[in-house]
Amino acid sequence: MLFSRRLTLGLAIAGTLAGALAFPARAEGPTEIDLFFPVPVDGKLARDMGTLIKEFNEGHPNIKATAVYTGSYDDTLIKTRASIKAGKPPAAVIMSANFLLDMQIENELTNLDSLIAADGTTKEQFLGQFFPALQGNAVINRSVYGVPFHNSTPLLYINADKAKEAGLDPSKPPQTWAELTDWAKKLTKREGDKVTQWGIAIPCAYDYCGWMMETLTMSNGGRYYNEEFGGEVYYDTPSMLGALTWWNDLVTKHKVHPPGATPGPAVSTSFISGNAAMMMLSTGSLTYVRDNAKFNYKVAFIPRNVRNAVPIGGASLIVPAGQEADKQKAAWTLIKWMTSPEKSGWWSRATGYFAPNMAAYKTPDMVEFLNKNPDAKTAVEQLDVAKPWFATYKTVPVRKTLEDEVMLVLNGKKQPKEALVAAQKAADETLKPYNAETSLKLP
Amino acid sequence: MSLAEPAALPVATSAPPRPQILRRFSTRFKASLPAYLLLLPSLVFLALFTYGAMGRVLVDALYQRATPRAPVRFVGLDNIAAVLADSAFTGAVVNNLVYAVGTAIPSIGLALLFALALSRTNAVTSALRAALFLPVLIPMVAASALFLFIFLPNVGLLDYYIGSLLPVLPNWLGDSDIALYAIMVITIWKNAGYYMLFFLAGLQAVPEDVMEAAHLDGAGPYQRLRHIILPELKPTFLFVIVIATLNAVTQVDHVFVMTKGGPSNATNLVLFYIYQQAVEHYDIGKASAATLLTLAALMGLTALSFRTMANREGGS
Repeated sequence: MLFSRRLTLGLAIAGTLAGALAFPARAEGPTEIDLFFPVPVDGKLARDMGTLIKEFNEGHPNIKATAVYTGSYDDTLIKTRASIKAGKPPAAVIMSANFLLDMQIENELTNLDSLIAADGTTKEQFLGQFFPALQGNAVINRSVYGVPFHNSTPLLYINADKAKEAGLDPSKPPQTWAELTDWAKKLTKREGDKVTQWGIAIPCAYDYCGWMMETLTMSNGGRYYNEEFGGEVYYDTPSMLGALTWWNDLVTKHKVHPPGATPGPAVSTSFISGNAAMMMLSTGSLTYVRDNAKFNYKVAFIPRNVRNAVPIGGASLIVPAGQEADKQKAAWTLIKWMTSPEKSGWWSRATGYFAPNMAAYKTPDMVEFLNKNPDAKTAVEQLDVAKPWFATYKTVPVRKTLEDEVMLVLNGKKQPKEALVAAQKAADETLKPYNAETSLKLP
Repeated sequence: MSLAEPAALPVATSAPPRPQILRRFSTRFKASLPAYLLLLPSLVFLALFTYGAMGRVLVDALYQRATPRAPVRFVGLDNIAAVLADSAFTGAVVNNLVYAVGTAIPSIGLALLFALALSRTNAVTSALRAALFLPVLIPMVAASALFLFIFLPNVGLLDYYIGSLLPVLPNWLGDSDIALYAIMVITIWKNAGYYMLFFLAGLQAVPEDVMEAAHLDGAGPYQRLRHIILPELKPTFLFVIVIATLNAVTQVDHVFVMTKGGPSNATNLVLFYIYQQAVEHYDIGKASAATLLTLAALMGLTALSFRTMANREGGS
C-alpha cells in the first residue's frame, strides 16, 4: 500500500477543505446583502455605484451591502433568475422597469406592500414621491413590486450648428412629424446618389427598436400594449401602421434616414461625428452627448403626429422572491436610502438619467445643476406626457417579434402592413399560454 | 469487488474456475487501483460539470409547462418536435451551415497558404508568424467590440477607407443580407492564424528525404505540393476541419456582442438560439431539446471524423 499514507493525508486535507466550504463560520455581525446592478450605458456608472454603496455602508453599520456588477439589463435578468433558481437570490436588484410584470407572473418578486405598511406609510404616500408616469411599471394589480431608481424618456437631439447652416432656427425645434420630415430633408446632404449627411437617425437594435416603435406609435395616438393586462399587444393597428410607414418613408421615400437597422451606439457616434444632423435617443445619452459633442446641440420633445406622448425607460429596484426576513428588511433600508431625494439627485447628475423622486429637483444641488445645464430640464418636462413602458407576459420575445419585422421593413424586405400582421400573429402565439390561463380561462 | 472476495471463497468446495477468474480480476484491479484513484478527481469533475449537465439537459428536454403558473409535466418528445417546427431554429441551422462552410474553407485555405509561405524558420518568418497569430490572442469579445467600430456605418474605419470606392455605403451589421458575412470575416481573421500553427507542425512531419528525392527527380514546386506535401498533410486537414466545424458551432461570442442574432434573425446561430430560448423565452424545455439536437449532431460529427482518422492510421 504505497499510496495509502499519502492518500489518507490527501483525503484528510480535502475533507477539511470541503467542511470549511460547506459550513462557513457564522460570525455575529452586520447583515450582509448583495445588490445586483447593470450598467446599460457606459463604464463610469460602475465607479459611481461603488461610491454610493460605500457611503451607505458607512452610514449603516449594521448592514453590509455589496454591489455586484451584472452586465446589461438582459444579463441582470438572467443572473437574477439563475440565483433565484439556485436558492440564493440577491437582496435587491436594479431591474429594467419593463421586466417586472413578467417576473411577477413567474412568482419571482417580493410584494413590497407589507414593507411599506411596516414603515407606517400608505401606498399612496409612498408612490406619491415619484413622478406619476413611473408608477405604471412599478405597481402590478394595485401592489407595489418595484421602486423607480433611474429613468429616461426618448428625446430629439438636434445639431444646432447644422440647423443654422441649413437656414433652420434651432430655438424653434420641429414639433410635428411634418415639420420633422421637412427639417430632415433640409439637413440631408448628397453627392450624387451618396448621402454624406443624414437628416435624422433613429436606432433599431433589439431592445431599442421596440422602445422607438412604442415612442412613434404613442405620438401617433396609439398604444403598444394593454397597460392593464399582460396578455395583449396592439401591433396590427392603424396607429402603429402609421408610425412604421412614416419611419419607412424617411428611409425609402424621403431618403433622409440611413437604411437598415442601426444600434444606439452607432446612432450616437454618427450624431457626434456630424454624420447625422438629428437623432432620437434616450435621455440616458445626454451626459455622453454633453461631454463629447464639439458643436452646439439642442434637445427637444419627440414631435407628434396626433399627440405628444412618450414611453418611460430605465430601471427600478426590486427584491427577488425567497429572501430571508432580516435581509429583506436590510434591502428595504438600502432601497429607501438609494431612492431618497438627495441620492436620487446625485445619481441623476452622475448618469444623465432623470431622478424619479420629484423632491430631488427641489434640492439645492439639483437646482444649481439645472441652471447650469438647462438641457437636462427637457427630459423632466416631457414627463408630463410620459406613459409606462410596454410590459407583457414574456416581454422580451413578444417585443422581438415586432423588432424582427421592423428590421425587415427598414431593410426594404417587407411592406409595413404585412410586417405588422406577421408580428401580431407571432406575438399572439407567444402570449397564448398566458391568455389560456387568464382571459380565456372561463367558468 | 475486492471486498466481496473473502465471502466467495468458503463456498468454493469443488473449485470451479470462477473464483480464480475473480481472484485474477481482483489482483488486476488492485494493480490498477492507484491509476483509477489518480483519475478519480478529474472523473468527479467531468461527471459533475459535463455528464451531470448533459443528464440534466436530457431530463429537462422531456418536460414542459402548459401555462405559466402550471407545474411542469412530462411531454416526451414534444419539445423536440416544437424546436424542429420553429422557423427560427431551422433558420439558425441554415445560418450555421453557411457560417461553418463559409468560415472553415477560407480560414483553412489561408492557414495553409500562411504555413507554406512561412515554413522555413528565420527572423522574418518568425515575426510574420507572430503577427498572423496575434488575432488568436485577442479574446473574441474584445475583438468583436473592436470590429463594432470598424463596421460602424458611414463613420467606421472600414467605410472611411473603402467608402469612396462604393456607390452606396452599406450598413454592414444592420443589413440582413450582409450581416452574416460581416460576422464571418471576423471568424476567418481570428482563426486563420490558429490553424496555421497546425499546418506548420504538419509540414515539419513531411519527410526531408522524400522531398529531396522529388527535387532530384525534377519535380517542380507545384508537383511537390500536389503529390507529397498535401497527402502528408491529410491528418492535419482532418483535424483542422473538425476543430473549425466545432468552432463554428461553439464560438458565438461575436454574435452576442455585435448583433444579438439580428437583424431579423439574419445572424442567429444555433447556440445563440438556445440562449434565446433559455433566457429570453424562459423556455427551459425547448432550450434543452435544441441543446440535445446540437449535441447529437456534434457527437455524430466527432465520431465520424475519429473513425476516418482511425481508418487512415490503420490503412497506412
